[in-house]
Amino acid sequence: MSNDEQRPSPGGNRVRRASREVNALGYLSEGFLQGISLIFSMNEEVWSAVSATLRLSGLSMAVTLLIGVPLGFLLGYCSFPGRGVLRVVVDALLSIPTVVVGLLVYAFISNRGPLGSWQLLFTIPGMAVGQTILALPIVLSLTASAVENTDHRLRSTLLTLGARRWGLLFSTLREARHQILLAALTAYGRVTAEVGVSMMLGGNIKWHTRTITTAITLETGKGEFSAGIALGILLLAFSLLLNGALSFLRRRDAA
Amino acid sequence: MTPPLYEVRDLVCSYQGKKVLGIERLDIAADGPTAFVGHNGSGKSTLFRALAFLLKPESGSLTFLGRPTEGHEELLRRDVTMLLQDPYLLRRSVFENVAYGLRARGERRGIEDRVAEVLEMVGLSADFAGREWYQLSGGESRRVTLASRLVLRTKALLLDEPTANVDEENGFLIAEAVKNAWLRWGVVPLVASHDLPWLDEVTDRRVHMKRGRIVEAEVETDFLL
Ligand SMILES: Nc1ncnc2c1ncn2[C@@H]1O[C@H](COP(=O)(O)OP(=O)(O)OP(=O)(O)O)[C@@H](O)[C@H]1O
Ligand SMILES: [Mg+2]
Repeated sequence: MSNDEQRPSPGGNRVRRASREVNALGYLSEGFLQGISLIFSMNEEVWSAVSATLRLSGLSMAVTLLIGVPLGFLLGYCSFPGRGVLRVVVDALLSIPTVVVGLLVYAFISNRGPLGSWQLLFTIPGMAVGQTILALPIVLSLTASAVENTDHRLRSTLLTLGARRWGLLFSTLREARHQILLAALTAYGRVTAEVGVSMMLGGNIKWHTRTITTAITLETGKGEFSAGIALGILLLAFSLLLNGALSFLRRRDAA
Repeated sequence: MTPPLYEVRDLVCSYQGKKVLGIERLDIAADGPTAFVGHNGSGKSTLFRALAFLLKPESGSLTFLGRPTEGHEELLRRDVTMLLQDPYLLRRSVFENVAYGLRARGERRGIEDRVAEVLEMVGLSADFAGREWYQLSGGESRRVTLASRLVLRTKALLLDEPTANVDEENGFLIAEAVKNAWLRWGVVPLVASHDLPWLDEVTDRRVHMKRGRIVEAEVETDFLL
């Protein structure tokens, strides 16, 4: 510290405030460095959260895609009475708050709930139920749009080339493939970034159901910024990777 | 005597209840190419869509090579193909586009050779087969879509303005390809076009259309001038 600072002076307040800012910055950058070192030292707590996130999102996405892609395709491809209403309902579910999903699923799978005997609360499969409910409308709606937005000449083109019922269906699916992948990636983004469902249904149990997002919430609450930052960097890297893939696909599709 | 390719009787086609085509009687011969001419909106594309079994006529009857067509549209679509006025390339490679109809017909062998053959007929070198759909110019994509119809060797080949976006030299190539489809394979080409000198290359048989009807050539010129 310089002599100026120790000597009381009319400008002392300003100087003191400036030094506090320097300290705050140092505190952040220290946390950042510690965070980086946590990642590279393969800190077990950090990687346990990463692994829980990957297992959870893998499970919920598998179920979501298995149900969502075929149903979303049919929703966009077939015309049947009530289709318009169904489209509106699915679109409305796009913005369902995570905590509401958490609450509803909690009510069903908690001990006193109708599915309580399945012992799903505070387990990865239980959280996956909630995330699937969150991701399904995204995949349904975007897949249906993908099919609806295929070129209006596609059907007559396929017919003139001699395609029949199944050929028509699978070729339409293939024409929409990039948009459907886009739907999957968008849903994946929502699932890895959410906190509400994971927190309420998983309970943030260390080594078990603690995911990246719930761990960040906890560490930040405890003032443990370095761990929070380490996890934040990983989550950011995740979403950058995902969005990179998304914009690559979008650009390719626009070509 | 072989029956006509198509016999059209009292054919009426409408869009959203608005009648745009009304043909009392038209026989289209099976012994060579026929050209369809007429102003914009005269109904050429609509007639072609009905002949390709893409558009269900409101009323009237249609025979194909002497047989009634009603109720057999799905089967007949394998005997008739059409190049749309605004053709669409599938989001696949050129090869996959041209091979699509052959695969749809369950053919497995000799696809490479047949694709190469028709690409050459429309003036595209063999290395075009490996290109993606977005790596083509407007005229090139149109010729790929033509090749994907030629390769099928259907009984009837309906071409709606096949030379739009195509330069003179390639227009000449397409005229040759259309004639060869008839001479080599017995594919009957029906061609709609506004390019009369180009049509002269292909055939002198003409069907004149006006406001959704078939008209005599003399009548048409009278009205036009
Ligand atoms: N999808 C459609 N919906 C409503 N009206 C249509 C539709 N397609 C064509 N028409 C109308 O039907 C009539 C015939 O159109 P068609 O496309 O058959 O003409 P055309 O002879 O092919 O014209 P062009 O030389 O411009 O290609 C026109 O009056 C047109 O406005
Ligand atoms: Mg037309």
